[in-house]
Amino acid sequence: MNIAQQLINGLVLGSGYALIAIGWTVLLGAARLVNFAHGQLYMLGAFVAWAVMTKLGVNYFLAVPIAVVALGLLGVVLQGLMLRPVMQQNLTSLMIVTLGFGYVFQGGASRLFGGDPERFVSPLQSAEIRFGEIWFTWQDVLTLVGTLVLFGVLWLVLNRTRVGAIVRSVAEDPKLAQLFGINAVLVYIGVFVFECAAVALGAGLVAPRSPILTSMGFDEVILTFVVVVLGGIGSVTGSLVAGFGLGLFTALFGALVSSAYTTAAAFFVLLAFLVLRPRGLAAR
Amino acid sequence: MTVELEATGLSVRYGGNVAVDGVDLAVPTGKMVGMVGANGAGKSTLINALAGWSRGTPVVRGTVRLHGASMDSLPPHRRAAQGLVLVPEGKGIFSELTVIENLALVKPPADTTGRHVFSMEEIHELFPRLAERRHHKGRMLSGGERQMVAVSRALRAAPRVLLLDEPSAGLAPRLVYELLATMRSLVDRGLSILLVEQNVRATLELVDELYLLERGKVVARGPAGTMRNDPRILEAYLGSLTG
Repeated sequence: MNIAQQLINGLVLGSGYALIAIGWTVLLGAARLVNFAHGQLYMLGAFVAWAVMTKLGVNYFLAVPIAVVALGLLGVVLQGLMLRPVMQQNLTSLMIVTLGFGYVFQGGASRLFGGDPERFVSPLQSAEIRFGEIWFTWQDVLTLVGTLVLFGVLWLVLNRTRVGAIVRSVAEDPKLAQLFGINAVLVYIGVFVFECAAVALGAGLVAPRSPILTSMGFDEVILTFVVVVLGGIGSVTGSLVAGFGLGLFTALFGALVSSAYTTAAAFFVLLAFLVLRPRGLAAR
Repeated sequence: MTVELEATGLSVRYGGNVAVDGVDLAVPTGKMVGMVGANGAGKSTLINALAGWSRGTPVVRGTVRLHGASMDSLPPHRRAAQGLVLVPEGKGIFSELTVIENLALVKPPADTTGRHVFSMEEIHELFPRLAERRHHKGRMLSGGERQMVAVSRALRAAPRVLLLDEPSAGLAPRLVYELLATMRSLVDRGLSILLVEQNVRATLELVDELYLLERGKVVARGPAGTMRNDPRILEAYLGSLTG
């Protein structure tokens, strides 16, 4: 086994985990909304980009931003539909509603895009870079850099701008925020749009690794749970660290033990963490 | 004398409970009105209803007018934007945000007609302590400092009428007088304030007019000088001092 290669694989996998999880954790942190449609939103992001490429002949680098915008618009519609339970913080209903959205997306997508596996291809996927024994693709580089840039910008916005302070205030106490003249509705719409757009970006960068299916749902993004809980709900830096940690863990576990059990092992780590450090890495 | 804030027939229900029952009140321009009453008399419920705000889901009836404009259909953040600014009882600031961030959440309005604008310099003059503490998070502040931030936040919103719900709760007696005296100085500069308080003695010394609330109803109202000698006030709140 080549350790250096596994470390690179781990970083690439980890940046993908972190990128796919970031919208979910920000949404959960700011609006306490557990979005069970996350996996189907990921699927939609991949299929919108794929459809724009194959049906309209648009190239990959434009198709991904189109998917990001399309999912962002979908986010406005979804949050509009969920506004009442969100404002009342009726969290159980919201979980069920998002679960329902997920199934609607899956059914709708299979009507629209068919049930067969499709090839969502990035031109960078076949552009390899080799250093002796070690190799990776330009798509890996793009995913890693894209993740770091997104996390950096998001951290700055949340911690260094007035908009970020508004989001944090609503996350802490939406009722009190109203007295500060803040319209919590707009903040909820904003974070939901971010969730949808971020998962579309994640799909655009990560999904080309394997064939895409309209039936791929939460299984595809299951490790989001691990990243979010390990990183601490709503924590940007925590998600990044947890994403990379998990990526390295799965790469090394896959190489050293067995790739068949990596998801089970990741969840075992999650359980151990929940027992020992219930509030995640970011907990003070 | 013009009226800055007026409520007529204001009632608030929680489920089957009537917490506030047909209250009429008026805060004249540039005056300080006090509202006192026992625990559970409905003071907080009333002042929250004026701001259109609640942590629960009450049913509110009646009308609220700010400088003649109806507030009834406006959500709390819009009322705040119009200058009807509430400092709630208890938690009034964000504990995960710094003092500066808390104050910067509020955006002073573009049109300041009829509003009382306070610059950051003026706020630091009123509460010099906040300048030193500006990079501390809310949860690192003392109770008194938090109350100062909460009031400063309200002033940054350029209020027409300031609604204060028990600003003295949990503060040391010396701080209570300091804070309330500061509020009085703002009234003398033209701001209109409605103050809900448990501390009747302190309130009587500062306000122009006093309302006594019992079981959701106004049972007495009048100029502070007259109310000081009202038997109901004497008996229930000042008895031990005057007797």
